[in-house]
Amino acid sequence: MKKLLCLLVPAIVGLLIVKDSLGSPPLPPIHIQGTVRDFQNGQPLQGVTVRGKFSTATTATDANGKFTLEIPDNETTLVISMIGYTPQEMTIARRTSFTIEMKPTASNLNEVVVVGYGTQKKADLTSAVASVKAGDFVKGNVIDAGQLIQGKVAGVTVNVPSGDPTGNSVIMLRGITTLASGSQPLILIDGIPGNLNTVAPEDIESVDVLKDGSAAAIYGTRGTNGVILITTKRASGLAEPVIDYSGSLSTQQIVKKLDLLNAADYKRLAAAGSNRIDYGHSTDWLKEVTRTPFTQIHNISLRGGTSKTNYVADVNYRGLQGIFLNSDNKTFTGHLQINHSMFDGKLKAMADIVSSENKYYTTGDGTGFSTLTYRQAVIRNPTDQVKDTAGNWQERSIYVYQNPVTMLRESHGENDATNTRYSGSLLFEPISGLRFKGLASTTRYYQTRGYTETKKNISNTRDGRNGYASYGAATAIDNLIELTAEYNKRFGDHALTLLGGFSYQDNTHSNSWMQNWDFPTDVFGWDNIGAGNALKEGLAVEHTDRAHSNLVGFFGRLNYNYQEKYLLQASIRHEGSSKFGANHKFGNFPAVSAGWRLSKEEFMKGQTLFNDLKIRAGYGITGTAPSDEYAALPQLAYGGYTLQNGVWVPDLSPNQNPNPDLKWEKKTEVNIGLDFALLNNRISGTFDYYNRKTHDMLYQYSVPTPPYLYPTITANVGVMQNKGWEVMLNFVPVTSKDFQWNASIYGSHNDNRLVTLSNSLYQTTVDYFDVGYTGEPIQTSTHRVQIGKPIGNFYGYKVVDITNDGKWVYATNDGKTTLDKDANNKQILGNGIPKYYAGFNNSFRYKNLSLSVTMRGAFKFQNLNFQRMYYENPTITQYNSLRSAYNKVFGKTQLNDVLEYTSNYIENGDYWKIDNITLGYNFNMHNNKIIKVLRVYASTLNTATITKYKGLDPEVMIQDPTQPLAYGDDGRDKYPTTRTYTIGVNLTF
Amino acid sequence: MIKKLSIYTLLSGLLCFGCTKVDNILYSTIDSDKFIPTKDDVNSLVGPAYATLRDLEMGWDAMYDLEEICADELVIPARPNGWVDGGVYKTMHLHTFNSLQPHIETVWADCYTGITNCNRVLFQIESGKIPVTDGKDAILAELRALRALYYYELCDNFGNVPLVTSYEVKVGELPKQNTRKEVYDFISSELHSTMPLLSPVVDKSTYGKMNRYAAWTLLAKLYLNAEVYTGTPQWDSCRIACDSVINSNKYILEANQEDVFKTDNENSQEIIFAIPFDEKYATGFNLVEKTLQPISQHTYNLQASPWGGICAIPQFINTFDSNDNRLKTNWIQGPQYDANSGQQLGCEYPPLSTAGHKLEFINSLPGIDSSQEIDGFRLGKYEFRMNALFDLSNDCPFFRYADVLMMKAEALLRTGQADDAAAIVTQVRQRSFKANPIKATVTGAALIAGSGYKYGVAVNDKIAAPEGGADIKYGRFLDELGWEFAMEGRRRTDMIRFGVFTKKSWLSHRPNGDFRTLFPIPQDELDKNNNLKQNPGY
Repeated sequence: MKKLLCLLVPAIVGLLIVKDSLGSPPLPPIHIQGTVRDFQNGQPLQGVTVRGKFSTATTATDANGKFTLEIPDNETTLVISMIGYTPQEMTIARRTSFTIEMKPTASNLNEVVVVGYGTQKKADLTSAVASVKAGDFVKGNVIDAGQLIQGKVAGVTVNVPSGDPTGNSVIMLRGITTLASGSQPLILIDGIPGNLNTVAPEDIESVDVLKDGSAAAIYGTRGTNGVILITTKRASGLAEPVIDYSGSLSTQQIVKKLDLLNAADYKRLAAAGSNRIDYGHSTDWLKEVTRTPFTQIHNISLRGGTSKTNYVADVNYRGLQGIFLNSDNKTFTGHLQINHSMFDGKLKAMADIVSSENKYYTTGDGTGFSTLTYRQAVIRNPTDQVKDTAGNWQERSIYVYQNPVTMLRESHGENDATNTRYSGSLLFEPISGLRFKGLASTTRYYQTRGYTETKKNISNTRDGRNGYASYGAATAIDNLIELTAEYNKRFGDHALTLLGGFSYQDNTHSNSWMQNWDFPTDVFGWDNIGAGNALKEGLAVEHTDRAHSNLVGFFGRLNYNYQEKYLLQASIRHEGSSKFGANHKFGNFPAVSAGWRLSKEEFMKGQTLFNDLKIRAGYGITGTAPSDEYAALPQLAYGGYTLQNGVWVPDLSPNQNPNPDLKWEKKTEVNIGLDFALLNNRISGTFDYYNRKTHDMLYQYSVPTPPYLYPTITANVGVMQNKGWEVMLNFVPVTSKDFQWNASIYGSHNDNRLVTLSNSLYQTTVDYFDVGYTGEPIQTSTHRVQIGKPIGNFYGYKVVDITNDGKWVYATNDGKTTLDKDANNKQILGNGIPKYYAGFNNSFRYKNLSLSVTMRGAFKFQNLNFQRMYYENPTITQYNSLRSAYNKVFGKTQLNDVLEYTSNYIENGDYWKIDNITLGYNFNMHNNKIIKVLRVYASTLNTATITKYKGLDPEVMIQDPTQPLAYGDDGRDKYPTTRTYTIGVNLTF
Repeated sequence: MIKKLSIYTLLSGLLCFGCTKVDNILYSTIDSDKFIPTKDDVNSLVGPAYATLRDLEMGWDAMYDLEEICADELVIPARPNGWVDGGVYKTMHLHTFNSLQPHIETVWADCYTGITNCNRVLFQIESGKIPVTDGKDAILAELRALRALYYYELCDNFGNVPLVTSYEVKVGELPKQNTRKEVYDFISSELHSTMPLLSPVVDKSTYGKMNRYAAWTLLAKLYLNAEVYTGTPQWDSCRIACDSVINSNKYILEANQEDVFKTDNENSQEIIFAIPFDEKYATGFNLVEKTLQPISQHTYNLQASPWGGICAIPQFINTFDSNDNRLKTNWIQGPQYDANSGQQLGCEYPPLSTAGHKLEFINSLPGIDSSQEIDGFRLGKYEFRMNALFDLSNDCPFFRYADVLMMKAEALLRTGQADDAAAIVTQVRQRSFKANPIKATVTGAALIAGSGYKYGVAVNDKIAAPEGGADIKYGRFLDELGWEFAMEGRRRTDMIRFGVFTKKSWLSHRPNGDFRTLFPIPQDELDKNNNLKQNPGY
């Protein structure tokens, strides 16, 4: 099949060419020139395409909005187009000079949207695809590319889980589709797999999201969680070189602090006979470990060249500081792309290098900022001192209780990473409409991690390690080859696009680390790790590992439309992965979708209400591969030792239950959509309904021991369903030369259900499993995943009252109450996944002043407030507590019970956030010869939150990789979220 | 044009063929299908069958805790720094445990991991996949005896478990449950049939291995508890098995009992079968963390901070003769000092810390639900090395000579030979009463008498409704077992044999049903294998 396909595609396309004829006779050309400006602000427009309607002549405007073009004598009309503006046609009528004003499009129907292996006009789309252009991005100190579209796309939840500058945004699309593999979508940067940090946010032109199965199926086993297509800024054959500079300065503050007991409270409580110790000092521990951070971002991009050879270069520096000391993240990214066009544009070549150098401090071994520091700052006695009278760090011998300042000052770590992507492509267009493209890339990631603890660290002062150091490295190499052939043809009213292709990808990653302690001096850190004694004593550990996987895909797609009225798309991917078991190496992922543009029908001709009306329907199958490279394979691994004849001999044994039947998760999705624009494009929108079902869900399935050696096996069991809708409405309430108001509203709803956890081979007799973990000392699970129920259900004891002596009163399952904790009375206490998301974005422009405000919210969900669960108990006196610990519970009395996970700490999380506010001003630069564009702005992020939630931030991490499926757990150690203030400038020379 | 295109077609076709294979390449593990072992690999392949014993005995929430914290010697009370953990220790103490009890799941899983590893290696050797040329029968016998040991623990704890003896099982084929009697018969027959093939050598080559004497000791244990397991006592068979060990003259009682438990105890001639641990190679023995207070780190200059949990039940400590050396050497008690400064350590948790109280371990405990950091004598039978790492290097003396002597004594006692039994008990006691040798001597009449344990629920060390132990048949012998074998992960089995486990109260525990002499089969296993029937009462 695969071999057939890869021969057939080029052959078919080849045959089609032969039928085509070539060229038209040349005519003496006419020289024309002109300037293109924005209708509203009069600014020159750069990169506008100007072409002859009936000829091949084409050019683009330069930074001054100027263009020159040679057109054939018989050409009658110029077509002027640019993304975001209404295209225009101008009759030439022997004129040679033009001044053109373009109106921004209220409707975005002619917008070009990036789809899998190509682009499409928005009007031609038959599947659920959303596109966000640079102008609509979230502005300010965004953490990565994901945050650019936060609150911009219905059905796509972008979550910035903490204020940690080394954190990443987390993206979830249309609910939880899987139990085992996470919700992160496939991220492609200019068609090449990468991540949200591969390129700088400032280098991004657009972000497109393939939401439904019919759009994503062309990406086969990687498509289930949707596809994010990031397109970087392009060179476009300008006459004059352009330099863009943008820069911003930011600072942050913790939005909300825990209301803890302070030193005065301690003294008062100690005097009143409580068990609080008064050490006689007063320390604001949070203040001791935090700072006012200062973040700067600078971006310079150069573009230039001719229509034949052009380049774009982007240099970006992001120096992020977090609110905690020693918490930062610095990245330097360079991106260079050179394009070359030869043989009258028949052959185009592209060479591209993106490279980033990243560095951040760590306060944990190999990790990042150790959030245990934050916990220690929270729980530490405020009457204690940072250092004792002798000048030593003040430590105490209480369980998991360390001086947070010591943790920051007496440990030091640096993670350095280089990520370099080389790519090149050749595009051969032998005749108009037929394109062969070859793309190859290799991405190399290399990270080193150094970490050290001095002799003043608690690891020595308490544990006698006498100085500690570790050093590690991680590498990843990703290779990609993609060959595609595409053919476009119009036959009268019929338009046809055929695409065929082949894709090969492989990944090899490795990890290594070494550690040592007992050093003669603190001077070396990890730079002379052999100086320690622990390795010589056989105590320190060294480690290396390496793994490999590859992916091979063959794909084809057909797009057809009749009079742009009836639209059809069908695609298939045949894909295999080394991660699959021996019995299932390849799978097929087909999709079909269709659209009907009612507005193009005869019967709609007379009406003036609708500018566009289209209904769409699609069906597609996508997959998810197991995350572990070797889950299917029988393997032997060395681990542990056994004493044999006085010698410790390494044990060699199987490390898992192999599964030769392991394959991909298979998600089927039906999507029905409606696109419309009315009242002269003043109102437009889309509505989508989807029903997605994941079959053969990957899961660590429990198997009996014996006969199995291990109690779980990675197997394809279970079915999960997500149904929901998304609506997005765009309004242009006011549009005039001086004042413009654009608004958009979106909403989405998802309904998730675990349908089954069995298949023919593996039958569960129990219909649930418990996930989530409170941590110690409570040590219990927080969630139950149960067949027939949604993912994210909190499961535990419901408390309804408190006794007069402060003990919890539990509800039983039959509606009575009891003082006994009986596991049979545990019940569903809420759900951590919002049922509804909504957003309301506005942008205003008055003359040169612009203001945009994005707001978003989530509704109908609960969070488990860990801070209250751990710090709102007055019997815990060795650690600091929330002031509210001394409040009466149920209005009766103070709590006098052990720390426990009960319904008392589950709260509604509904929130409405005023997130990004940006106020900008464009200076009038018409007469300035040096600076063409000057814009200054001030913005805030995470500006204000309206909620009844008592925790720090109701928006908790939607996907914590360390706590899979425990949605809504608001962990006590979370790096607090921050509010960011930014001022910035954009300059074009 | 056509020519150009066909070249392109050809080229792209060729490129496709170059990389259309999906391949597994392994770097850090070994592909079992491609692995051909040599005789150099035999030890590495056999090792895992033994390695599981470490997890089984000393792992987190594993057998050591399972056998001790449901009994009358040790308890894990709620501590100022935690140890509530969803009530999993309290349920053990109160006998309210159910099929979700983590200790029960761990013991089942570890036993069967050991059994499956034995079955796997047996299969691989028998089928020639592991090349063993010399001593093949001996290795096979040793693995079968080891498997019998795992089955013994299953028989003791769960009773009715599946007997699985082959490795190759069809996917979807689920093991059938056997009765406790069938499991008992299997262990007995396996040990008898392998006995002649097992090594009679006692040196480092069989240390930590199932040699012939380890198998006799296991058989003695099986017979000792035969009445519990099958309803039919086997006292004579027990005595004969014990004599097989005793008469070999390969083992002695150490002059000092504490030497059996010291850090470098691998040369002890009292140890018959050890589970070897090592702070570097074979970690997992962390009793020091489980019993000491965090600040006790300074007493031993430990390289990790302890967690402060398990301790003695005061009623049990009160049964000791004050002259018994084991009371002093086996239990950490009294004021605790900083090893460097010599100063007594202070308390760290309110309210004692607020009152400036110094750290001392006292023989007092309010109950299971609360305790102070000073409450309860701590477990000191195993030596805690100064400057110890997180894990200890003491080997766990799973079977030791004193145990064989005491089994023989019990078999004699229960077959009307109380004075002969007393002579053996006296022999075992002598090393613990060196300062007061007269007190070492015990009479047959004394052994027949009841127990000195003051049973009854104790609240703040006060027993409102004393139950006492005078009514326990051979109660004094049970006390003897307690004094000698405390903290060795076996008290439950002894209490069951003496009929006390489900009848008496201690600390916060009250009797909660006779069916609790067997643990429930873990819910997880019932869910996965519908051939399994839960033990009665659960």
